[in-house]
This record gives sequence, C-alpha cells and structure tokens, in this order.
Amino acid sequence: MSSFLVALAPLLVVGLGGLLLMLGEAFAHRERGGSGPSADLAIGSFVTLAAGAVVAFSLWLVGPENLGGAAGVAPFLIIDRFTLFFDIVLCVGGALAALLAGGYLPEHKLDRGEFYPLLIFSTLGAMVLASAGDLLSLFIGLETMSLGVYALVGFRRGSARSAEGAVKYFLLGSFAAALLLYGGAMLYGATGHTDLAGIGAALRGGTLTGADYGLAIVAMVLVLAGLAFKVSAVPFHMWTPDAYEGAPTPATSFMAVAVKSAAFATLLRVLVSAFGDPASMSWGTGWPPVVALLAVMTMTVANLVAGRQESVKRMLAYSSIAHAGYLLVAVVALMTQPGIAQGSILFYLLAYTVSTAGAFGALILCGSRGKEAVSYEDLAGIGHRHPVAAAAFALFLLSLTGVPPTAGFFAKLYVVRAAIGGGFLPLAILLLLNSVVAAYYYLRVLVYMYMREPAPGAPVAAPMRSGYVTAALLICAAGVMLLGLWPTRSLELAIDAALAAR
Amino acid sequence: MSAVPVPYFLVLAAVLFLIGAGGFLLRRNLLVLLMSIELMLNAVNLTLVAFNRLHPQSHGGQIFAFFVVAVAAAEAAVGLAIVLSFFRLRNTVRADEANTLKN
Repeated sequence: MSSFLVALAPLLVVGLGGLLLMLGEAFAHRERGGSGPSADLAIGSFVTLAAGAVVAFSLWLVGPENLGGAAGVAPFLIIDRFTLFFDIVLCVGGALAALLAGGYLPEHKLDRGEFYPLLIFSTLGAMVLASAGDLLSLFIGLETMSLGVYALVGFRRGSARSAEGAVKYFLLGSFAAALLLYGGAMLYGATGHTDLAGIGAALRGGTLTGADYGLAIVAMVLVLAGLAFKVSAVPFHMWTPDAYEGAPTPATSFMAVAVKSAAFATLLRVLVSAFGDPASMSWGTGWPPVVALLAVMTMTVANLVAGRQESVKRMLAYSSIAHAGYLLVAVVALMTQPGIAQGSILFYLLAYTVSTAGAFGALILCGSRGKEAVSYEDLAGIGHRHPVAAAAFALFLLSLTGVPPTAGFFAKLYVVRAAIGGGFLPLAILLLLNSVVAAYYYLRVLVYMYMREPAPGAPVAAPMRSGYVTAALLICAAGVMLLGLWPTRSLELAIDAALAAR
Repeated sequence: MSAVPVPYFLVLAAVLFLIGAGGFLLRRNLLVLLMSIELMLNAVNLTLVAFNRLHPQSHGGQIFAFFVVAVAAAEAAVGLAIVLSFFRLRNTVRADEANTLKN
C-alpha cells in the first residue's frame, strides 16, 4: 500500500500542495490595501511545483523499476523514467509560470488568488496525461489539464480579447477531445482493450477481422487528429494564436510549455505503444506519412505566418506552432531510430521549455500597467531603457533560433541528426530551411530592441520591475546556458528516459 | 426476449455523432455549439456501452462511459461560464462576432 503511494509521490505532492494553497487562500483574511494573494501564492505554488520536480527526480535516482508500487497503478498510470522526465519538465514549466504570474498579476490588476490553484491542478492533469497508459486516464488527464487552462485563458474577465480567446480555445478544444474520445471508443470496440499496451498487442496480433481493422484505422485517424489539435499542428492550429494572445502572459507561457509537452508525451506513448506495430510504422501503410505531412505543413505555414505578425505575443504563438513542427519531424524519425529520435524529442522539449518560458518572462518585463508591450514598436529602444530585460529576451530568442552555444542549438542539432540518421534527409533539409526563415522574425525583435528608437510622441510602454519575474528569468537563463554548454549529460538522461518507454 | 442487435446502437451513435459534428461546424450560436459537443459526447457514451456487449469479459466500456459523463458535466460548467463572460462583454452569443483577435 505504501509503496503504491511512493510511486505516485510526484502527483500527490503537487495535488496536495494545490489543495492546501487553495484552502489557505479561501480562509485567508486580507486587509484592504495590504499585499494581494500573489505575494503568498506565487512562492507557495513555486515551492509546490518545484517539490514535485524534486520528488520526481529522486524517484528517478531510486529507479522506478525498484518501486514495487509502480506495478500497482499500471496500466492506468505508468511510472517509468519517461514519465518522471516529463514530470520534471512539466513541474518546471508550471513553477516558472507561477513565478511569472507573481510579477504579472499584481502589475496588471488581475491579482486574484484562483490563478494559482488552476495552474497547479492543470499541471497535475498534465502529469497524469504524460503518465497515462490507458485511454481512460489519458482522457481524464487531458480534461483536467484543459479545463484549468480554459479558465486561465479567460482569466482577464474584463477583456473582450481574453473572453474571445477562451471561447475559441474551449470550443475547439472540446471538439477535439470529443473526436479523440470517439476514436478511443472505436479502438475499444475493435480490440476489446482500453489500455494502450493491450490495444497495441491486439493490433499487432493480426487477429482482427476486416471490419475491426477498418474500425481501428478510422479510430487511429480520429485519435491522431485529437492529439494533433493539442500539440497545435497545422491544420489544427487555428485556436493557438487567439488563445495565446488573449490569455494573460504567464498562462500563455504555461500553455506553450507544459500543455504542449504533455501533449507530446501522450502522442509518443500512443504512437509507440498502441500504434507501434511494424505494419503501421512502415512508410507505406502506417502513420509516419501522415505525421510527416503534418510536420511539413506545421513548420512551413507557421514560419511564413509568424513573419507577418505585428504583435510579438502572436509571433511567439506561431513560433511555438513551428517548434511543434520540428518536434513532429523527430516523431517521424521514430520509425527507424526509436531511441535516438525519442531522446532528441525529450531533450528538445526541455530546451524549449526554458527558452520559451524565458521569452515570455522577458516580454512581461518589457511592459507594465496601462500598456503591455505587445507590438514590435513597443519594444523599440528597450535595450537602453531596460537593458536587463532586453539582454534576457535576446538570449532566449537566440536559443529559440538555434544559435550556439544555447540550448536551442543542440536541441535542433539532435533532432536533425535523428532525422538524417533515420533516412529522412528531405525533412531535415526542410527543418533547416524553416529555421532560417524563423531567424528573420526572431532577429527582428533584436533589431527593434537595440537599433530602433520609439517614434517621437508615441506612447512608450514603461518597463516593469519584479523580483519574481527576474528570478524566473535567471532560472531559465541558467537552464539555457547549462543545456547549451553541457548538453551531453542531459541528452543521455533523455535517451535513458526514452528507452524506458518501450 | 431478443435483444436489439449491437450494430443498431453503433449506427445510431454514429448518426448522433455526425449530427453533433455537423452542428458544430455549421451553426454559429455558441450555445448550440455547446449542445453539439454534448451530443458528440453522448454518442461516444452510447458507442462505449454498445461495444461493451461485444466484449463482455470486463465492464471497461461502461465504466469509461461513467467517467465521460462526469467529465462532460465539468466541461459544460466551464464552457457555460466562458460563454457567459463572453456574452457579458460583447452582448452576443454569435460565434462569428468573436473576431477582435483577427490579424
């Protein structure tokens, strides 16, 4: 019994911490004019989520195979190194968003306590999603995560843009969840299993009759469409820019980082353990051509549209779609190079997490109450007015571009290596071409920050200062530099995690 | 007593699902969109329970349906709250008037 609790420790720490914070905030007596909820809750949420990451890491050191309880929760939750790696990534993403919120919410008069419990429970849902080994737990994790994030997007109640982003995200999100669920029901009908391993074994066994096989194919298409929506792959990306722009920036950062990572975790698990039989992984008959098509469209469309954006937040939204495209290239490479490709995906997600959370944090620092810095024009001359924010922004954008010696460079290198090693040279070349296109709009921010001055008479966004945001930026910067200067060790860890998943 | 054959349920569920999906794609009223999504989820439940008759060794499908019902209720609560806050700000529930974020 107790070993079963140990195996679930990361989930329990995050869940209990969230409950305690929520209750504490509900019974807190705050004086008018005193410090708002963010003063306590930001640190509390950060500590809770960091504790989740630490517990996950210690389970990693113990080795999940030594935990007797891990078998007790299978197949609903699979506790292996793959899960623990994602637990760490998701907790770090959530903790950074909590720190960003600590600075952002009071500054923009949004200081209401419910932001933090929503954030923590969404992270919990994301962790369940990443460890789900059964369609049932997958669905519950997905909805726990999504329901929290829908509310976070609509958090700015007085803003029509925020409400509109939330409406679009909610409607398309639940539509996609319904598609996924119908696909899941069909898989259950065709195979008689809801656990991914059982579905995989039944599909692999070759005992399916013709009708069941057809059902399974339709089901795969529906499930793949539902998951593609969650990772915001083109053509299922319509909601992304609107939801990202309407949401308060810390919530945007959480969506770009944690929601995307959790969706990729479950995409990998579904593709590898349920649809991973040799027949459906071949180029002719299986999912790789579909995923390759998604990857090509996602990278190309997102990068072309991102270059035309005038709002930096929207540009970052399209850039996060483009990064999903690069990751999908590595997913295709799973076909021939399973270990290396999956390891490169995990490493990429880690590098992407610190770079993106940092970029949104720097964007928060660039604008304050009254005027959020949203357009390129707002950033003109920020290099002189707020050198720290500008330097941080530059570092994270260089990492997203993939300039050495930052984390983003090695992340892209490993993905390209996996793609070339797997025999997908055209995809690798397309990825590199897209990175060049992407450099245009990332560097454009740098040009505005350092080489332009605001137009005379234009309203200038006053930069804000916040200890929380600065702390988050320091953590991200340390992560970007560490992964960029010593990438080998973390890649080994990622490949360890990847190998555990099969 | 002869039971209704399983395929009847599956066809009915497929028709319900298509009505829901069609309604979602064609209608422009946010409340109708919400109802369409509920219809799709109910079609899923019917499918799950019907398939459970083909796989009687466990009750996985029926248990799954219970969870779907519970989650659908939570989803409807959040969805209505979001639609309500949209209505308060814009005084409309038409989806095509949600266009301030266009580039």
